[in-house]
Amino acid sequence: MWKIWRWIHEPVRVLRLEILRILAPLAILGFMSGRLAHADEWIGDHGFHGPDLGGDWRQPLYVPPLPAFAAWALACVMVGSGLALAAGWKARASGVVFAATLAFVAVADRLAAFTVSKLSPVVVLAIALGPSGTRLGVDAWRRRRAGRKRGKKLRPASSLQFLKLLPVVIYSSSGIAKIRGDWLKNPLVLWTNIHDTYQTAVTFALASVLPRWAWTASQGLVLTFETLAPLWFALPATRRGAFVFGCGMHVMIGLMFGPVVWFALLMMSLLIGGWAPDEWLAPVERLACWLERRAEASAHAGNVEG
Amino acid sequence: MNPGNERRWGHGVLVILGGLYLAGVWLEGVGSGVPSALLPRTPLYFLQVAALFPHAALNVIDYRAEAWLCTDRRWEELDTRAYFPLDPDDKENRFQRVMHFLRDNRPTMRALDDYIVSGHAAGGLSRPDGIPEGTSLGGIRVLSLRLPLPEPGAPLTRSSRRPLAEYPKTVRKYFYHTPRSKRAERCGYREPRDVPTGGDATDGAPSPHETESPE
Repeated sequence: MWKIWRWIHEPVRVLRLEILRILAPLAILGFMSGRLAHADEWIGDHGFHGPDLGGDWRQPLYVPPLPAFAAWALACVMVGSGLALAAGWKARASGVVFAATLAFVAVADRLAAFTVSKLSPVVVLAIALGPSGTRLGVDAWRRRRAGRKRGKKLRPASSLQFLKLLPVVIYSSSGIAKIRGDWLKNPLVLWTNIHDTYQTAVTFALASVLPRWAWTASQGLVLTFETLAPLWFALPATRRGAFVFGCGMHVMIGLMFGPVVWFALLMMSLLIGGWAPDEWLAPVERLACWLERRAEASAHAGNVEG
Repeated sequence: MNPGNERRWGHGVLVILGGLYLAGVWLEGVGSGVPSALLPRTPLYFLQVAALFPHAALNVIDYRAEAWLCTDRRWEELDTRAYFPLDPDDKENRFQRVMHFLRDNRPTMRALDDYIVSGHAAGGLSRPDGIPEGTSLGGIRVLSLRLPLPEPGAPLTRSSRRPLAEYPKTVRKYFYHTPRSKRAERCGYREPRDVPTGGDATDGAPSPHETESPE
């Protein structure tokens, strides 16, 4: 237990949380964009909304549709707070507001809610509760312009540790769900899931050329990766390979399953923020240092002129 | 309690909540009954994120609707995308989702029936629904197309939306229609009352552990 507690509180690169703070809201807003464009149909009273089912499991909470103007207002608040978080402007407050709007729409319309809808309030809240905006973004820029100290590069951030664990927990659980489902019984589960309206040109091209065994082999690779994900990410020897495989898997999901691209991007942002090797983040570190120096130089010039 | 201690306590609570959330996601995904036994529906819903694509698809499923034309007294295909403009061309469309989750739920089907019939009468749709404006509708009937999956290596055709009439009756599964008496009432003619049916209630109704696509 003590080891776990120490791991949760060990200093981590704040820059990782900044990368997540930029990428995750953009992936979530991308997912929401189609819904936001029809806010009055989605959560407003211009679209179809079923009756209160009074406790049916398919309706986690009955929320009556909003008047159209309120639906559009909520959409504007969601976009504004999401962009503010990605820009690092009042990161904590904008993150909390963004998470609240995401939680509301996830329960308000079950019909247009998917995994991203349910995952995103938690991801955004964790980003907001950490030291977001202290190194990159508008908040950090303004702090340094005001002559305050640079944000620390390393500091304890349990929210980042939480966000690191999240994809690993999802993979592991998903792998076991697949084992309990059909993935060990049917060698063509992947094949059977590529023929509906999620199908893209890439899916169709691959389905037309890949032999039967390739689908079974891909299925085996995905199942092995997901089920044993805690092991792959825990062991230093396999961690980098797991990161690359995970990103590759999500690239393929994004290319092959149409609208699932936003889920793939959200998962990739969790992987990059949490698990990208330190040296691969060096260019972002250099960018952050360069911005810090520029802000300080500009603050200094302002002081001299004053 | 001094502010430093308060912060430490607050932080400790958040760490515990984070741990419980991760445990809940994992347990819910692997099919454990523990989260559903302990939690109300709304928090439980936010834990249902991990069990993605666990089953093989048996068919390609597409949900469609037909409208009852009062003047002709016949069914005609109606393009539901005119009434559900969000994500019109894939299975994330809200009509597809109503059918996926609630096709066996009669209050929802009746609400859908009213929504489409009144929407057609009001006009101003986001796109043509395939029924001429001004035509009175008496009701709807909704169905799923259950198309066979190709074998690997067999010649393929891109997934596309074709008119209902091009599909044989054997791939259609009906599961709701507006009762005949209701259609007559809306159209303004007399018909004997019929017994409302749930249609084909065995059309793969979703279970409480229904999984979904991950987006």
